[in-house]
Amino acid sequence: MLTRNLNYRLWAGAGLLAALFLAGCKSDSGTGGSSSSTTGNTASGSIKIGLVAALTGDLKPWGQDSQSGAKLMVEEYNKANPDKKVQLLVEDSTSKPESGKSAAEKLISEGCVVVLGEVASGISAAMKEATTSKQVPQIAVGATRTDLTKDSDYIFRVCYTDALQGPVMAKFAYEKLGLRNVALVTDEKQPYSVGLSDSFRTAFTKFGGTIVDEQKYNTGQTSFSGLLTNVKAKNPDGVFCSGYFTEVGPIVKQAREAGIQKSVPFLGGDGWDSQEIVNTGGDAIIGSYFCNHYNNKDKSDAVQSFLQKWTAAYGGSLPGTTMGALGYDAAGVALDALKRAKSSSAKDLRDAIDATDNYHGVSGDITLKGRHGDPPKRAIVVQLTEDKQQTFVKAYTFEDVFPSTAATPPAASTPPAAKK
Amino acid sequence: MGHGVELLAALNLRTLPEQLANGIFLGAIYALIALGYTMVYGILRLINFAHGEVYMLGAYVSLFASRMLGFGPTSNKTDSSVVNLLIMLTASMIVCACVGVIIERFAYRPMRAHSRIASLITAIGVSLLLQYGGALFLPSSPPPSINEKVIPPVYRESSRIVLQAPPAELQRDLDSTQTIYLDAKKKYDFYMSTHQGVGEFDLAPDGQALHDKYKASLAPFNAAQAKADERSVVITVRHADIIILVTSVVLMGVLTYLVMFTKSGRAMRAVSHDFDSAALMGVNVNNTITFTFVLGSALAGAGSMMQATLKGPPLTTFFGFTPGVKAFVAAVLGGIGNIPGAVLGGLLMGVAEDFVIWLGYSNYSDAIAFVILIIVLLFRPGGILGSSKVEKV
Repeated sequence: MLTRNLNYRLWAGAGLLAALFLAGCKSDSGTGGSSSSTTGNTASGSIKIGLVAALTGDLKPWGQDSQSGAKLMVEEYNKANPDKKVQLLVEDSTSKPESGKSAAEKLISEGCVVVLGEVASGISAAMKEATTSKQVPQIAVGATRTDLTKDSDYIFRVCYTDALQGPVMAKFAYEKLGLRNVALVTDEKQPYSVGLSDSFRTAFTKFGGTIVDEQKYNTGQTSFSGLLTNVKAKNPDGVFCSGYFTEVGPIVKQAREAGIQKSVPFLGGDGWDSQEIVNTGGDAIIGSYFCNHYNNKDKSDAVQSFLQKWTAAYGGSLPGTTMGALGYDAAGVALDALKRAKSSSAKDLRDAIDATDNYHGVSGDITLKGRHGDPPKRAIVVQLTEDKQQTFVKAYTFEDVFPSTAATPPAASTPPAAKK
Repeated sequence: MGHGVELLAALNLRTLPEQLANGIFLGAIYALIALGYTMVYGILRLINFAHGEVYMLGAYVSLFASRMLGFGPTSNKTDSSVVNLLIMLTASMIVCACVGVIIERFAYRPMRAHSRIASLITAIGVSLLLQYGGALFLPSSPPPSINEKVIPPVYRESSRIVLQAPPAELQRDLDSTQTIYLDAKKKYDFYMSTHQGVGEFDLAPDGQALHDKYKASLAPFNAAQAKADERSVVITVRHADIIILVTSVVLMGVLTYLVMFTKSGRAMRAVSHDFDSAALMGVNVNNTITFTFVLGSALAGAGSMMQATLKGPPLTTFFGFTPGVKAFVAAVLGGIGNIPGAVLGGLLMGVAEDFVIWLGYSNYSDAIAFVILIIVLLFRPGGILGSSKVEKV
């Protein structure tokens, strides 16, 4: 009797789980995820470009913005070129590297000649394995990890690398804020954070500053009083937090509560780029600076017309993250290359992308020619101000930070072996 | 004393008192969660892996409660009071208690007649169901956090407890540089408030002069501060941490009363001592187990409400994972099944973590939990206060 009763319950439980699972799948496709959503001409003759975006999972806000940006660019292109339409296929990476890789493989098997994405370095690196082996060019949207483009000729990006962010913030901290003794706070579980701290340290000490302390924490940690006591004891005149907004917010908040004065500014990288940071950081984080790709308050024509198109297409709201602009630019670089390519084969498209010279993107000019996938981009320093927005403070071009760039030969871009 | 400091130059003995205080505050939360693990184990010999998820749900209840009280993510309400915090605390404790009871009734009770490993696997299953299933319903991307405005401002400040004041002349230097600094800052802030829309880096000459003066006054103040710090011992205590500690102690007191001096508490102790005999003696075992889950889960709810509100972390459905694991280690460290042991284990864990940070190895602050667990299991398998009686499996 008991076993039968139990069996019944197990079945009921299994049924419930199955229902939940189905509900999960359904809500995925509801957000435009698992099934390919298409834009523009669906005729079989049109050229297909793919986008892998984190439409669900931890990176959802960034992934969805990158999708909205890319869609906007493709629609614009199709309107301008009605006889040569392109079709955008979107796959969800669910914020996970392995799913991102299979999403890229799926897009390639469906005939995409270029794959855009991802917003994060880890997922982009996993996708790189698929795109490189299939010899299809990939344009990463927001992957800043420095070594991402190192060992493949098929991956490009439209954002700057961490090798730029660190020196930009070091230069800003040393020259503009006049900081000399800075403490580092690093999320040692995130290669991004570790790499950014290293590049900041190198640049800051080269300027003549001192790193007085480095403290480490783990993603998901909620209490930081121990490491903040150590930081405070070193009396730094600035603190560089290279992690993501999810932990940086509470760190800054707890730091102020723990007695680190407002005269000690907090600085960080583009991992801070989320509206959530002013919630988790509260009043304490107002006045902090970080490095970003692009700013909604930028008065330049490129940005303003982009924002106009965006608000017209997406119900009046501004892009919440910088990935909207970068997604738009990634698609822009791909379509620009498509115009110049000898044919619309993946190989010719790769060569055309690699020859991109001074493409005027919303997030700044993009040159990939002779740069082995890493464009020398401009970076901007923004401040979180009282209105809870990011306010533009200063822009740095690539040459501002690496003035000797002409002296050091750019990483040679070896042309792909002319096998196939 | 002075020589000792020089000999241990690498270690900053002056921060040790503050780090110990930090450790105790941290340990109080671990202790609250560990109590839930240890009570359930004491009665059912079951490691309730879903306990961390009950803790996570408590944080979400606090989030929703704070929003219902009018402190949404964009709210600028500032008229909060302790009453709001108490409402959130009560809501979190009540909902967590209900969730704990539901989990016990529908997941663990049907498995009770089966082998213990079946219950254990069920517990892991419930834990995963809440983590991943919860993500379908609970907002987690972008991770929401509780608006800090729900905390009255005074609780967002800190107090300085001076154990050893700096020498008088250093204090005088500090005071005089501080006066100059505050004066310059005031003038500069006033200038900035009257020149709206002007950035810090594109000031007019008069503003630039004030800005430079303000920046120039900062360096001597910082230097004086550093000098004074080298000769003084101060504990900076966040008021939020004091609230956490006091609330935890009060709740532990209530728990002690319930377990030691009430009929239900006596039943709990009887069931824990001998499950079958207690049942034969007329103890309603099911009710007692339900009562245990109510107590344990409510404590987890209180812990997560305080952590989520006063520390300001963003919430995801994995919010309970790490604290759950650490509290479990704390329970084992103190002797699983032993209530004072869980409190002792929690405090030891918290202090150990901050001690490692004090030594300068903040990257090992998480690993220390597992190092301690291994050491305890090697030398005292029953835990510090637990019985080392070998159990027949």
